[in-house]
Amino acid sequence: MSFRRATMLVARREFGERIRTRALQISTLVTVLIVAAIATAAGLFGDDGPENFTVAAQGAEAVSIAEAARATGRSFDARIEVKRFTDRTQARAAARNGDVDAAIVGEEILGEDALPTELEGALQAAARQVRATAALREEGVEPNAAQRALAPPALHVRTLGTQDDGRRGIAFVASLLLYLQLIVFGLSVASGVVEEKSSRVVEILLAAVPGRALLAGKILGIGLVGLLQLALIAVVGLVSASLSGAIELDSDHAGVLAVVLVWFVLGYVLYAALYAVAGVIVSRQEDMSSSSTPVTMILVAGYLVAFPVLEDPDGSLATFTSLLPLTSPIVMPVRAVMGDAGATEIAASLGLLVLAIALLIPLAARIYEGSVLRMGKPLKLREALRAARATR
Amino acid sequence: MLELRDLSRRYGQIVALDGLSLTVPDGEVVGFVGPNGAGKTTAMRIALGVLDRDTGEVLWRGAPVTREQQRLFGYMPEERGLYPKMRVDRHLRYLAQLHGRDPGAAGGAAARWIERLGIAKHAEQRIEELSLGNQQRVQLAAALVHDPPVLILDEPFSGLDPIGTDVMSQVLAERAADGAAVIFSSHQLELVERICDRVAIVNRGRIVAQGRVDELRAQRSRPRLRVEVEGAPDGWPQRLAGVQVVARDERGVLLELADGAEDQQVLEAATRAGRVRLFAPARPTLAELFREVVEQ
Repeated sequence: MSFRRATMLVARREFGERIRTRALQISTLVTVLIVAAIATAAGLFGDDGPENFTVAAQGAEAVSIAEAARATGRSFDARIEVKRFTDRTQARAAARNGDVDAAIVGEEILGEDALPTELEGALQAAARQVRATAALREEGVEPNAAQRALAPPALHVRTLGTQDDGRRGIAFVASLLLYLQLIVFGLSVASGVVEEKSSRVVEILLAAVPGRALLAGKILGIGLVGLLQLALIAVVGLVSASLSGAIELDSDHAGVLAVVLVWFVLGYVLYAALYAVAGVIVSRQEDMSSSSTPVTMILVAGYLVAFPVLEDPDGSLATFTSLLPLTSPIVMPVRAVMGDAGATEIAASLGLLVLAIALLIPLAARIYEGSVLRMGKPLKLREALRAARATR
Repeated sequence: MLELRDLSRRYGQIVALDGLSLTVPDGEVVGFVGPNGAGKTTAMRIALGVLDRDTGEVLWRGAPVTREQQRLFGYMPEERGLYPKMRVDRHLRYLAQLHGRDPGAAGGAAARWIERLGIAKHAEQRIEELSLGNQQRVQLAAALVHDPPVLILDEPFSGLDPIGTDVMSQVLAERAADGAAVIFSSHQLELVERICDRVAIVNRGRIVAQGRVDELRAQRSRPRLRVEVEGAPDGWPQRLAGVQVVARDERGVLLELADGAEDQQVLEAATRAGRVRLFAPARPTLAELFREVVEQ
């Protein structure tokens, strides 16, 4: 049987057995619910995103003002719906009862309470525009010219600083998700390797397939579970944030999703190889926590570095750690999402990460094959390396 | 036919195998016996390709075995082990596929062995939910599920109850009857004597005796006699030249004859001493042969 087929068989078992576990199903559900709740809360309590208003209008001028406000409301963070009334009293009553947020009647804007600033700003600006247009027309200015003069193209806004809170929030969530997924699924690889050693099933497996197929299949199968879970969480997060009005979904967010998934895949492969080594040098689950701690510490360090990087995404710490393969899977996505890493830097980070993987995987596979049948007390890394050299 | 030829293997300073040679013919069951630490497990692991040898060769059907061929061998390691959380049926199907069976055939083979070994009502349970005896049966099914041409079983009978022992013995005989080469290690010498076509005795990394049990008996240089004489004085055989008393109980004696000593002379002496109740060649048990060759 080919290496590839053996690897696929092993990967299929890992994937199938893992998605059947209640633990994974529940943890995925809980995480998805938490992410959806946070994203929804950000929309409900956050101050960005347009508010919805209903405006009553009675009379021709009032209707024009309301319609103009509806057209330009977006720049005031107001999404305006217009209700026409033929009867002045009814329009007043609607405003008094709170059926509408405001009613334009004659020379007045009526509201149940004080008008929200977004709404008042939008209505006053629209009123100015409509009345000025009417005044100019009376002076004989042709309507289109009046329109052009009164509604010149708006100035384009470009952000120069890093104060974009929406992106920063997304970058923060991305780094948190990457960190958690890398730890959880990296540790799954380690404990999966130990499980096969401690249950001794590894001996009959090795009689059937090469050790490296066993390792490759395990990393592949567990990684696929992690990737799907991450994609699910991210999509649910983005969609619920957009439904609640916290963000407006656009192609940028697809880019963010792609960045997070790509760095997860590469980061996972790198860390899975390290965690596999941490697993294979011990024979019991009890010993695994101490052997995997160094790997976990590196991941924690990468996550901690993400905080100063969020504040200063262009600094030398950010640049260095986003290129270093052990920290780049967490740091580079932060910089990429915040828009502070150039294409060259992103390519260099990816290239270094792939190179590190290419160097590490064969070494990890040899250590794995050299140590997987060594039972008993934990091996020192030096002993594992010696055993790796002795492997064919 | 599986042949191990002149295998050597060291672990650091410890010599595990020291020129071990062994043959397992197709269609036969070979018992592999020897004291703890004699090298049985090491030899079996090398035969399977799970462990590297230092020198020597493993031959399969007359040619050096390839790793691909070894992957078709059935194996039951001394340290039992399956995925504790996996369902019995899925586990066996998975192992059959790892040994190269396509998914359909793997499912069929798993179902057949589950049925054959009497664990059908546990097929959908997880391994860890089974009793130890039933886990052993799954372990045997794991070794057999892909119809291997060679079966290598390390202590397959340890921990089995009498019914499990019977099932295991039957299955091994069936596999041999189907043409498989079967070798298993065991410390239960009566069992080995009963179900094996051949026996190989290993000590300190070398084979010290190998062949059919009756051949091994014949190889033993000194014949033994069991003699029971009623009313004879205790010392009646002691004056006979070339005859040594190996064992004595209240009913009679076990004698060993040196080269040139005649059993007819012993019979005459016995007749003179009293009423002869029993006079028979003593067939040594495998356990006795084992002690002799290992203690030499």
